[in-house]
Formats: sequence, C-alpha cells, structure tokens
Amino acid sequence: MAQIEVRDLQITYDTPKTGERFTAVEGVTLSVEAGEFVTIVGASGCGKSTLLLAVAGLVPVSGGTIAIDGRTVTAPGPDRAVVFQEASLLPWRSVLGNVKFGLEMQRWTRDDRTERAMRFIRMVGLANFADYHPHQLSGGMRQRVNIARALAVDPKVLLMDEPFGALDAQTREVMGDELLTIWEREKKTALFVTHDIDEAIFLADRVVVMGRNPGHIKEIMRVDIPRPRHEDVLDSDLFNGYRKRLRAHLAEDMASMHLVEGAQA
Amino acid sequence: MIAALAKRQALILGTLSMVGILGLWQAVVDLGFIDPFFVSRPSAVWNEFLAQWRRGNILIHVSETLRSFALALGLATTVGIGLGLLAGWFRDVESALDPFVWFKYSAPTIAFYPLFIAWLGYGTPTIVAIAFLFALTPIYANTLSGIKNVDRDLVRAARSFGARPYDIFFMVALPGSVPIIVAGLRLGVGRALTGVVVAELFGANAGLGYSIGYFAQLLQTTRMMVYIVIVIILGVILTQLLSFIEARTDAWRVSAAK
Amino acid sequence: MTATAGPRPAPPPRARWPRPSRSATISIASVAVFFLLWQIAPELGLVNGRFTSQPTLVLKAALEVAVADDFLRHARVSLTAFAVGYGLAMLVSIPLGIVLGTSRIARHMLEPPLMALYIAPTLILLPVMIVWLGIGIASKIAVAFLGAVFPIIVNTMAGMREADHKLVRMARSFGASRFDVFTRILVPGALPSIVVGLRLAIGRAVLGVIVGELYVSQAGLGFQLTTYGAAMRIDRLLVYAIAVSIFGYTMTALVRAIEARLQRWRPE
Repeated sequence: MAQIEVRDLQITYDTPKTGERFTAVEGVTLSVEAGEFVTIVGASGCGKSTLLLAVAGLVPVSGGTIAIDGRTVTAPGPDRAVVFQEASLLPWRSVLGNVKFGLEMQRWTRDDRTERAMRFIRMVGLANFADYHPHQLSGGMRQRVNIARALAVDPKVLLMDEPFGALDAQTREVMGDELLTIWEREKKTALFVTHDIDEAIFLADRVVVMGRNPGHIKEIMRVDIPRPRHEDVLDSDLFNGYRKRLRAHLAEDMASMHLVEGAQA
Repeated sequence: MIAALAKRQALILGTLSMVGILGLWQAVVDLGFIDPFFVSRPSAVWNEFLAQWRRGNILIHVSETLRSFALALGLATTVGIGLGLLAGWFRDVESALDPFVWFKYSAPTIAFYPLFIAWLGYGTPTIVAIAFLFALTPIYANTLSGIKNVDRDLVRAARSFGARPYDIFFMVALPGSVPIIVAGLRLGVGRALTGVVVAELFGANAGLGYSIGYFAQLLQTTRMMVYIVIVIILGVILTQLLSFIEARTDAWRVSAAK
Repeated sequence: MTATAGPRPAPPPRARWPRPSRSATISIASVAVFFLLWQIAPELGLVNGRFTSQPTLVLKAALEVAVADDFLRHARVSLTAFAVGYGLAMLVSIPLGIVLGTSRIARHMLEPPLMALYIAPTLILLPVMIVWLGIGIASKIAVAFLGAVFPIIVNTMAGMREADHKLVRMARSFGASRFDVFTRILVPGALPSIVVGLRLAIGRAVLGVIVGELYVSQAGLGFQLTTYGAAMRIDRLLVYAIAVSIFGYTMTALVRAIEARLQRWRPE
C-alpha cells in the first residue's frame, strides 16, 4: 500500500461572490510511495494547491478519499507537515521560536524542543540567526525557517505549496538544490506544488501535470534522472525532453484559457 | 455582493442592538429594577425632548454649543493647518515647535482651565480657548505628517520636469496631504466638541454642557438625559460628516492613482 | 528639499533622541526664548505679571509646594482615582474587545453603541456619575473608567480582527486547537493594538480624573488647581498643572516603551 492514497477526489466550495458551487478538483486519483518525491505542476487555477491542502487536512473533501498509511485524512495530523508559499512565520517569535512552534503544538517535551529545533535550524544553515526575528531575514532565509519548522516535527509526509514561488530565480535554484540534499538525508515522502517546469522536473521522481476546469490530472510523468542530481542536468537532452513534454501540456492549457477569456470578452 | 450582505447584517444587528438597549433601559425602569430617578426612561426622555423642543430650548442650547464649537474648530483648523504646513515644509520650524507640541501632548489641557478663567473670565472666550486647544493637536500633527511624508517618487518626478520647491509644495505636497489633513480634522471635530461641552459644564450661561450640569444639580435626570443624548448624537453626526468628506478625498486619490 | 527627510512614524510627534544637532539646538533655543520672554515680559510691563507669573516664581512655588502644601496627599487622591479607574477599564475592556474581535455577530451588535460612546465626549457623563455615586472619589473613578474603557475596547477589537489568516492556517496545519490558535496566534497578534489602546486610554483617564476634581471635590490635584485659580495664585496653579502634565507624560512614555519593545518585530 502506498503512503499517500488519493482516490477519486472531488473538492467543491461556494464562491463567495456569486454563491455558486465551484468545483476545484474532480476525479483525482494518485498514489505516492513512501520516500518518493512527487511534484505537481499546472497553470494557475488548476487546483494543485487545493489538492495539496486537502492532503494536509486543511481543505474539506467533498467526494472520494485521501488516506495516509491507510488512515483516512479528516484533519491535520502529526504525520504531515506543510511548507507554505508565504513563509507564514509568527512575526513576534525568533527563528528558534518559530521552528519550535510546531513542536509545541504536537506536545514535544520542553527540552526536546530546543535541541531539535536547533538541529534543523543548523540543517538549513541558519545557526547564526536563531535569535533573529522574521522581519530581519531575507525571503530565502524565511523559507528556510519555514522548511525547518516543517521538518522538525518529524512528519512522514512533507507537503510543500510553491515554497519558492516568491523568491528570485537565483535563490530559487540554490534552495531547490539544498532541499534535495536535505530530502535525500531525511528520506521523507514529499509532495511539492510549483508552476515552474524546471523546478518540477529537477526535484521529482514523478511529475503530476494538472489541467483546469475543473482541476484534474492530465498526466503523471516519471523522471528517470539518477540521483544525486546537480544543476548540470538542466542542460541534458533527457531533461530537455521532459521539459518539452510539460511545456506542451501547459501551452495547451494557456491556449484554452485564452479562448475562454476571449469568448467572454 | 457578500460585502453588501455583510454590511446589511451589520446594519440590521446594529439597529437591533440600539433598539434593544432602549428597550432594556425602558424595561429595567418599568419593572422596578432601577429607580427612574437615576436613569430616567426612554419614553420620558422622548416626551421631555418634545417639550423642550416646543419651548425652543433645544435650539437655543444646540446653537450656543455649535457657535462655540465652530469658532474653536475654525481657529484650530487655521492655526493647526498653518503651523503644520510650515513645520512640515521647514524642518527648523518643526524643531522650534517640537518641545511645545510634546508638552501639549502630555498635558491635559483642562488642567489649565483655571488659568483661562483667570485670563478670560467665565463664558464663551474661555470655552472657545479650551476647545481650540483640544482640537489643535491632531490637526497640527496630521498636517505635519502629511507634508513630511509626501511621496518622494512624485517629488523626484516633478523635479525631473523642472519643478521648483514652490511648485512641489503646491502641486505635489499639499494635494497629496489632503486626505490625512481631513483625517486630522475628523479627530479635531470630536475633540473640539468635547472641549466645548466640558468647558460649558464648568461655567456658561447656555449650551449643551451647561444644560447637563444645570439639570444634574437640580437632580432632574430626565432633562439631563435629553441633553446627554443630544451631545452623543451630535458627536456621531459631526464625525460621520467628516468621515464622509474623508472618504471622498480618499476616493479622489485612489481614482487618480489608477 | 530638506523638509522631506524620509518617512516617519505617523503622528504623534515626539522627541527623538538622538537627533541631529541642528534641530536639537533650535529646539533648545526656542524653549529658552520662550522662558526668557515669559520672564522679562512682566518686568518690561508688556503683560500683567499677576496673570502670567514668571518662570522664577513658578520654580520658587514648586519648592514651596514640594515641602509644605500637602502635595503628596493631593497627588495620592488623584493617583488613586486614576489607578482604580484605569485598572477597572483594563479588566473590562481587554476581554470584551477580544470577544468582540472574535465574534462577528457580537461585533455587529455592539459596535454602533460602542463607537458612539468612543466618539462622544464621555466626560459629559460626569454629572450623571455625581447623581449616581455622589461627589466622592467614586464618581472620579467612574469618569476615568469611562474615558479609558472605549479606546481600549476599540483598539483590542481592531487588533483581533486584523489577525493574519495565513498564520491561523499554518497553526492548524500543525494540529493547533482552537484554544492554541487563540492564545498563540490571535492574542499575540493583537497585542500591539491593545497596547496602543492602553496608551490612548491614559490621557483620557487622567483627563477624567482632573475634570472630575475640577468640577467638584475636596482634595486632589484638580482641587488644588481650582483653589489656586480662584485665589489667583498663578505660580502655584502652574506648578500643579505641570505636575499633572509630567504624570501624564511619564505614564505615556512607559506604555510607549512597552509598545516599542513589542513592535521590534514589526518595524513599520
């Protein structure tokens, strides 16, 4: 049995403006093995973040099931941790305090908390910044704290919602690199949402491509690039092949999006 | 749509609660929980309001208070905006005024009331002076910060087109500060009204504050309540008026930015 | 353009140390000129010294008041009224503001009357308080309370409403209970606003006590103000007025220090 089992998932919610029922995700079936790194790509509005947050237990499911290790997901649990797109750090806590937050929520003992939090702060390279407050950190550093906070609670599954989306291209590459290093050491199952094709391929064992109206899976693509991976694979023919395939999918989506908007205008 | 609905909910619930408060007030007195001597009751206050209105007393006192209020606010606006513009534009003026403003912030104006009595005697001049000082601070402070915080990109753009300091002041700094100055006026309005009624409470021959104090001394609770309710309503109306103007000046700014 | 020296925390302006020496010099000079004029104007016959007193006379009066005018007794009376009124206001308004900030229905119901009382001059309720509570300290406490309670409620409410929903979601993702979210996300997030309310409330509570004592009392700083006003002892009147100002300033500065500490993590 796979670690994450999503079966025939449907997620709907009321649109606040019109009061109509909107289907964000429909008929999504996906299994992720323990220790696997799966990325989800798609144009904006394809429901990829909604899917991730549903696995986290933060978005209610309207149809189908999500299970982690065979247990149905109804709420957030200690087996999962989320790395949010915006770092979502508590501005009144230091880096150390923020990393300890998840441990506090999950009732780790007081001594363990500090020791464990420091370990993960060191892992993301912020040992010298433990006493800093979020506003004193750069965007990249905040995301490191965000990742350390999620890893510290020792989840089986790491859920990442475009964690590098707000960073500049260069920082983004460095962070991707470091994330892989950490992941290879920690052996967590990872589900990673992004809209960046290169990022999706570079990180993944498998790439899930999602389409819009309503959000559904178009293709699941296996990435057979040996690990550990380095930036030079970005220029390989193999990588280029994957890139082309994904681009074709997204271009299709873009075209249909423009058609729809053109029709409305 | 949802916002409009939420707004309506706020309106409905707000109205309900106001009606509820009046109902509760009436009920606790009617049912004998509280002696009407202490709080009167809404029906009695309403009847008394009508009686006072017919006798013309309401108009006399409201216009007396509004006259002092207008004088004080007018003075505070002139002086506050004038000094605020100067201090906002010339740093040295700000430095010179700063110690006094700082003192003004910490000092409860009313502590100097006996001094004004000594200088100006009981009556309108002292009332206007106190209310003027009450209203001055926020108007000055907002004008100052409006001018000082003028958008520096706009200033740079204006200068690139060869604008001189004089042009920048009148074309960029002043118009850009209008919303925050109006916000200062809104605060000033509330404080001027407070200043007038409090000073009237201490010594006057007419006005809302005077009436409240007068009927309190006679222990005529119903009449006192009539004037208290009028002051509260007046405060809300005047502040709402300024909020309306504020929203308009801001709307102009937002649409200009688009 | 020396006038636009960068953005500054909005009003109120306060002394900023250390400041550039030029502006410090000008400030000191301007105060010096003021005291000088105040000192010599009566001597030159420009104003009647009986009405304005003089800095030297005020200084002398301050010494007299300090040694033999029952200053401490009167200060204690006023301070008690302030402390009790302000303390009660804190006890009532912070929990109320928190509840109102969390519940939309409660807010919609109570906001209109609260805003009306926040705007309205609560000081005019002084005569009512005297009818209810008599002319003793209770009515002063009540007016101080009424002055302080609304700014704290309104600011606490605003602070709770501005809660960052992303932080709430983050906390939930780690399994935070409603209670955890409340104590660790909502309340800490609202703290700076609450402290702003507490600061605004100080001035209003001081004002309430002084107005109460000016209106009718047998002791207190406000009582002394009236006494010396009626006796035309401008020098002593000013000593008391300045004492009240210093008290208000000290309290406000204290809360500002707390505010600055809290806002270290929020440098805007």
